[in-house]
Amino acid sequence: MIDNGLLVQMLLGALLGLSVYLPLAAGQLSLATPAFYAVGGTLAALLSTRWSVLGATAAGGFPVLSLLLELVLGGALAGTLALLVGRLVLRLRGIYLAIATIALVEIVRVAILNLPFTGGAIGIFSIPQPFTDASGYLLTALILLVLTGWICQRLDTMPLGRAMAAIRDDELAAGCMGIDTTRVKLTAFVLSAVVAGTSGALAAHFLNTWNARQGSFDVSITTLAFVILGGSRAWLGPVVGGLLLTALPELLRPVGDVRLVLFGLVIVLGPVLAPRGLVSPELLERLGRWGSPTREQKP
Amino acid sequence: MSTALLEVRDLSCRFGGLMALDGVSFSVASGEIFGLIGPNGAGKTTLFNLVSGLTPPSSGSVIWRGAAITDLPPHRRNRLGLARTFQNLRLFDDLSVLDNLLVALERHSRSSSIDGLLCTARHRQAERQRREAAWQLLEELGLSALADRQAGTLAYGDRRRLEMARALGTDPALLLLDEPAAGLNPAEKEGLCALIQELRQRHRLTVMIIEHHVPLLMRLCDRMAVLDFGVRIALGSPNVVRRDPRVIAAYLGGDASGETP
Repeated sequence: MIDNGLLVQMLLGALLGLSVYLPLAAGQLSLATPAFYAVGGTLAALLSTRWSVLGATAAGGFPVLSLLLELVLGGALAGTLALLVGRLVLRLRGIYLAIATIALVEIVRVAILNLPFTGGAIGIFSIPQPFTDASGYLLTALILLVLTGWICQRLDTMPLGRAMAAIRDDELAAGCMGIDTTRVKLTAFVLSAVVAGTSGALAAHFLNTWNARQGSFDVSITTLAFVILGGSRAWLGPVVGGLLLTALPELLRPVGDVRLVLFGLVIVLGPVLAPRGLVSPELLERLGRWGSPTREQKP
Repeated sequence: MSTALLEVRDLSCRFGGLMALDGVSFSVASGEIFGLIGPNGAGKTTLFNLVSGLTPPSSGSVIWRGAAITDLPPHRRNRLGLARTFQNLRLFDDLSVLDNLLVALERHSRSSSIDGLLCTARHRQAERQRREAAWQLLEELGLSALADRQAGTLAYGDRRRLEMARALGTDPALLLLDEPAAGLNPAEKEGLCALIQELRQRHRLTVMIIEHHVPLLMRLCDRMAVLDFGVRIALGSPNVVRRDPRVIAAYLGGDASGETP
């Protein structure tokens, strides 16, 4: 029932979950992930269909190296956008930040819908394929996920990660302890955008077609549900949430649009039934101290 | 007294119609323990917020080692050597006691985030130094046994000491203590008094302290300022302040022994 194609989607879901998790680890509720995902995807779709230097063949083939270049460029463009936008929106807190990031998602969506070169409502199609079947995408997505997970894991034992956790707990006190809170929040926001932009670039090729609907407000809610279900206190949480919630609607495809209701239910019931998500730091500690900071030994 | 570490000059802060601070001036010399007293609502914590950069003043300036820092954000002031604790305790409750200190010790890092990601020798060495410094502070404040505990689960007295340890972790020249003795029993207050003097010696600190327990402050401080309704009504050594008729009228309620009712 779960084929390679669905597995790729699940891994992309996990990546987007991590993209929402990163700012949240610094206490910032950003729903801008779909905007960066759309930016990365659109860039990849444009480059591979319009820019012959990358080596798209008439038969729809595409060099893997060019794909890697697009992943880097997609991440870089999304990161740059985050750097510019973040300086403005990260002044806002809590729900106001969430609303501002929703606005960003809408702006990007409408822009992609109306720009003269992004194909309007139909979008860009016949995006060339670097791989002959889904297994190549599976491997690429897996590498991206492992890389992102590794960064998140390292953050726990780094000043940056601890500063993020401190800001999540008490931003004001963190500032008084010498932490440049603006910079740390901006870094988390940019990291989040890079992950989403890179994922978008891969997704554009995987889906073969790309349009403005890929980065809509629906995706904001879906990716937020990944984190709420999985848990926002350990990076494995959003990964588990992303994998599960991406698989679920596909497995439940016969029920049709009811799957959107399912997401709503998760957002409502998740915090009630498992306030800290499926994967909490306590759970990880019991499971063998992996994915959460290691315990300290006195020297 | 020639080189003031901190000087506040004509500092005012207005919240809507309320003048929380009204033209307060004084300076704190390097190495002294400077007390700040006054009835509730006198503006003591507001003054701390202005000095640490959490609240912008309506007018006036804060001067650090001769240079104005009035426009600097809190983290820049901290890096200049100005650390504080909070009256209502603002620990990083979800982090372990040790991590609370490691956050504060970040400034000693000479390794970048790239070093951290790749776990280079430079990162490992910086991390080791941070951990050593953190354990030393824990030892000093008697918190080593609690290093692994979540800060939010500590007993009240331990939380107070952890806040001091965390502030000390930023290696300050001036430590602002906002009611460090609040909620402590008399024996603990005595202990705290000794601890502050000890810490001043060992870390070569200048201390500014807000405290309601006047006898304790009289013994501890070299000099003190008295605020009432946002105005500085007295300034000087405890003996001078104790006899100041305005202080007696405003705060001590005529009881010259200095005990609050």
